[in-house]
Amino acid sequence: MSTIRYRRSSAIGLVYVAPALLFVGFLTLYPFAELIVMSFYNSSLLGGSSFTGFNNYVKAWNDAFVWNALRFTLKYTLFITPILMGLGYLAALLTAGEQRLQKLTRGIIFLPVVIGLGSSSLLWFWLFDSQVGLFNKLLQDLHVISAPLVWFGDAELGLWAVIISIVWKVVGFGMILFVAGIQAIPHEIQEAAMIDGTGYWQRVRRITLPLTYRTIMLATLISAIGSMLAFEQFYIMTAGGPTNKTISSVYWIYTNSFTYFKLGYGATLSIILMSIIFAATAVQITLTRQQRDR
Amino acid sequence: MTTQRTKRLALVAVALMAMPAFAWAENLTMWVRDSGATLTTRVIDHWNKTHPGDPITLSVIPHDQMVTKFATAAAAGEGPDLLSLDLIFMPDFMKAGFIKDITDLMAKNPNIKKVVQAHLDLATYKKRLYGVPFTPDNSILLYNKALFKQAGLDPEKPPTTSGEILAAARKIRKLGPDIYGWYFSGSCPGCNIFTMAPQMWAAKGTVVLPAGCEAEPLKGESIKQVLTNYRTMWKEGLIPQGAKVDPGANFMSVFMSGKIGMQGSGNFAVGLLKEKAPNIDFGIAFLPGPNKGDASSFAGGDVLTIPAASKHAAKALEVLNWVLTDDPQLEVYAKTGNLPSRTDLAKNKYFDADPRLTKTAQALAVAQTPWTFHFNDMSNDNSSPWIEMLQTAIFEGDVDGAIAKAKKRMKQIQCE
Repeated sequence: MSTIRYRRSSAIGLVYVAPALLFVGFLTLYPFAELIVMSFYNSSLLGGSSFTGFNNYVKAWNDAFVWNALRFTLKYTLFITPILMGLGYLAALLTAGEQRLQKLTRGIIFLPVVIGLGSSSLLWFWLFDSQVGLFNKLLQDLHVISAPLVWFGDAELGLWAVIISIVWKVVGFGMILFVAGIQAIPHEIQEAAMIDGTGYWQRVRRITLPLTYRTIMLATLISAIGSMLAFEQFYIMTAGGPTNKTISSVYWIYTNSFTYFKLGYGATLSIILMSIIFAATAVQITLTRQQRDR
Repeated sequence: MTTQRTKRLALVAVALMAMPAFAWAENLTMWVRDSGATLTTRVIDHWNKTHPGDPITLSVIPHDQMVTKFATAAAAGEGPDLLSLDLIFMPDFMKAGFIKDITDLMAKNPNIKKVVQAHLDLATYKKRLYGVPFTPDNSILLYNKALFKQAGLDPEKPPTTSGEILAAARKIRKLGPDIYGWYFSGSCPGCNIFTMAPQMWAAKGTVVLPAGCEAEPLKGESIKQVLTNYRTMWKEGLIPQGAKVDPGANFMSVFMSGKIGMQGSGNFAVGLLKEKAPNIDFGIAFLPGPNKGDASSFAGGDVLTIPAASKHAAKALEVLNWVLTDDPQLEVYAKTGNLPSRTDLAKNKYFDADPRLTKTAQALAVAQTPWTFHFNDMSNDNSSPWIEMLQTAIFEGDVDGAIAKAKKRMKQIQCE
């Protein structure tokens, strides 16, 4: 009797999850399987395809552009992630309260998040223009620079121009996550610490930071993955230049797949990048768990 | 009753009479890249005016997305009825079978023998024709006559060698801190294959882009000479700093400021400058090579094709035939200062009125276009070996290293 009930309950459960399973199956698992299969073929967008085994993987290993793009993407991620997290957390600390001005500031900082990345990149491309850009004018008026900088003429300057634009665009997202984490801390804990005579920064260090640790880790993970997948900002602002020094991994995947029409090779590069991100995420989650359990 | 029936019959008769008009009316779709949209819009407007029953709806696609968009659509069996395609991409798409073979269909058209040869060559694969010249353009040397005069140069004697370009640029630069001798879009691969490559292949025997795996890319001493000339101009500050990062957005606007002595440009500059910067007194010359007597041009522009997936191929063919007739060639192309695709109409009443237009038409006689697969990978894409070579040589100074690296990458691309 209980076996029948169990089976019936399993069947009903399956019916409930079926839409989600179908959704994931068609939109994630099937394309993913196709991608893996495609990575073993020399498929072209112009037609024609033949099985090449691991040739695409060997080619990727020997492709200097793949390594350069990966190095550059890692550099970008390592630079931008602490900035986004640091500024986001600082903004969250300043605006987590319920005062009207704090709410307004929160809204203003969050505003660029809702702008499309393509639009914001185009906006910043012109703001950084060496001839008519307002950013150079601002720096000159503040006497930071004496002559206009050609931001996209130098790989390092170009990278920093992109970082500035992305920080402006994305910092509000981290801030909102942190605000939610900070607001979830029970007031009693803060009040007890204040009664004990702790200062503001001491409370931040001893109470707020430890109690929002999981939120910080989550935000860092989301930010790092997003940075590893950076594309639009480099495609629009630097176009990979000068001399191909600002080509990100996804940019190189896009170029191979849709400009050079090499869909098979593009699929291989996607699998490689995905594996790297997956491994990095697994390491980060494991470390977070270990630290939490300690 | 009889009257009622008569009325009904009359109504049916009228409806039947009107039907053919509806049955034959076809709405065609067409894609064109944004850089060729101005002239194409005029041509299509003229078609729609003269063929109201078969209107064409034109979609303008950003030039850097055109190839990807069409390839993706064609691979899925979709796409427009007519496609205005940058001729350099023809070899790849003809080979892929994405474009309709029109050899037999165009055989009876007498005008096909009178069109720009470079365009016909690029639209031919294995001796079969896949398109007709549509919006031809070619590269020329553009120079500011007023600045030439101020610098003590003869405005009627434009430079005829790379060395003379350098000498003139030096003199013009001395006119003022914001006046420069030369301009080029340093981050625009397409602009430079259009204006710099002809200066290289003006020297006989030079090969910039190889036709196949066996051919040697970047062959010829003139490649190094032209790059060195640009490097010298950059190092000496004869080119504005902003040129380094110009992706082509300022290809014409900087010259329009009246503060640039010379630049490689296209025939389209004549009409554009007359309309947008009427105060600039400019001259047109052939793009010179390193040696006296060397001159060349790039025959670019679009070819009008019928995609294999076209749903109105017969009507689209009518458009191809119509485009080559006298009416649009003279009353749209020539009248608005654009090169007709038919060389027999290069001399016309509109061009006679401005010798600069005649000069652009003459440049077609010395123009070349490389017929090669993977043109985009080798030269037009932002990460191509061509633009990497230019930037490394001109802005970083490693001319030999830049050529060697680009040679290797081009060879790899062609032989894959």
